[in-house]
Amino acid sequence: MYGRKACQLVKELASGEKGQLTPYNSDLFDQVIAECSQHHLELQSLIRKMQEEGLDVQTTRNADHYGALIHHLSLVRNKRCLMAYMYNRAEIIRSLIWKVGPVLPQQIQEKLSHTEEEYFKKHSGALQSYMSRLDLDLTVDMVPPKDPYIQVRVLDDIGVVLSDDKTTNFARHSMHFLKRTDAEQFISRGLMEELTS
Amino acid sequence: MAKYYDIDDIITDEEIVAVIFQKAASGVGIDPSSETDCVEVGSKVELPFWLAHELQQRQAVSMNIPTSFNQNTRLEIQADSACVDLRSRCPFFYEFGCKIAPLVGARNIGPLLLSAFKSRYKEVLTKAHTAAFTAASKNLTILTKEETNLYEAAQSSMAAFKKWRMGGPRFQKASILGRKRKSTE
Repeated sequence: MYGRKACQLVKELASGEKGQLTPYNSDLFDQVIAECSQHHLELQSLIRKMQEEGLDVQTTRNADHYGALIHHLSLVRNKRCLMAYMYNRAEIIRSLIWKVGPVLPQQIQEKLSHTEEEYFKKHSGALQSYMSRLDLDLTVDMVPPKDPYIQVRVLDDIGVVLSDDKTTNFARHSMHFLKRTDAEQFISRGLMEELTS
Repeated sequence: MAKYYDIDDIITDEEIVAVIFQKAASGVGIDPSSETDCVEVGSKVELPFWLAHELQQRQAVSMNIPTSFNQNTRLEIQADSACVDLRSRCPFFYEFGCKIAPLVGARNIGPLLLSAFKSRYKEVLTKAHTAAFTAASKNLTILTKEETNLYEAAQSSMAAFKKWRMGGPRFQKASILGRKRKSTE
């Protein structure tokens, strides 16, 4: 009560490393919303009590007024914590598209709630349609590279991938000489690593 | 209110302050020592800062100086501020001090924060720039959140400088996936 659970929710978000998502805590979220309803009920009962005693609700400053005030402040505080929780998670999700690409890896997907996954898909779809209108891929590296080809070692089993005109079998621990743009999406997902001689 | 969504600001506001109620409040179970759910005039309660701040503006409570800023801390900081464990007292020492200072009416919190920060700042930056590896030294556990942010910023700027000089892999695994790789099932 009185904002403690809401603060716990926010602290949980802060406890992850910078830029990392913690799993979506829907239990705690629902509990905070239930607390808000409880505060609202108590607030209403105190205001009704003041009205029954015939006092002017706007100007009297008696004990009931301060009790109602505390409930109101707790409600506003809960709202702030919930909004901050959603806002900061949404910010991290938006940045995901630029870092990881349009497909979510499994380990991140299990940390998101259902609505957050929808948000990611719609945002990613909006970006894709914008890029296709410009006919330009905005998610690649901004700095022009010195060498268009890059040597990579495959870390995870990707299998056979079709690229331009040939199919290559990306078996684990094999080394390849690829075009930079093709390799970039695999490296950012952690499936390959760049070899610097 | 630029800091509405700021997580650090929300956690700073949750710090506990001891207050004395000047007016009674009924229908709230906020005082754990009273049997009924009413708070009497003159009762001493520990409230989070956001609640105490609003109630003080409406003259319902009066705030005392929190224990993190009392005489003991002041003496320790004057003795040797670089070794004082500020994080155990208050993880947001400087931010919270800045918020509390105009409300409690103590004129010496400001200079205290300034002197503590000046001497610790030098320590933080020298350690950050000269640490050969990123393993946390015991010094880090006594830093407040603001100082830890400074430390990390200095470390990342050193790492960026070294990378620029030596050259490193241009593409890296996206930081959101974490440093540890999950084993494939």
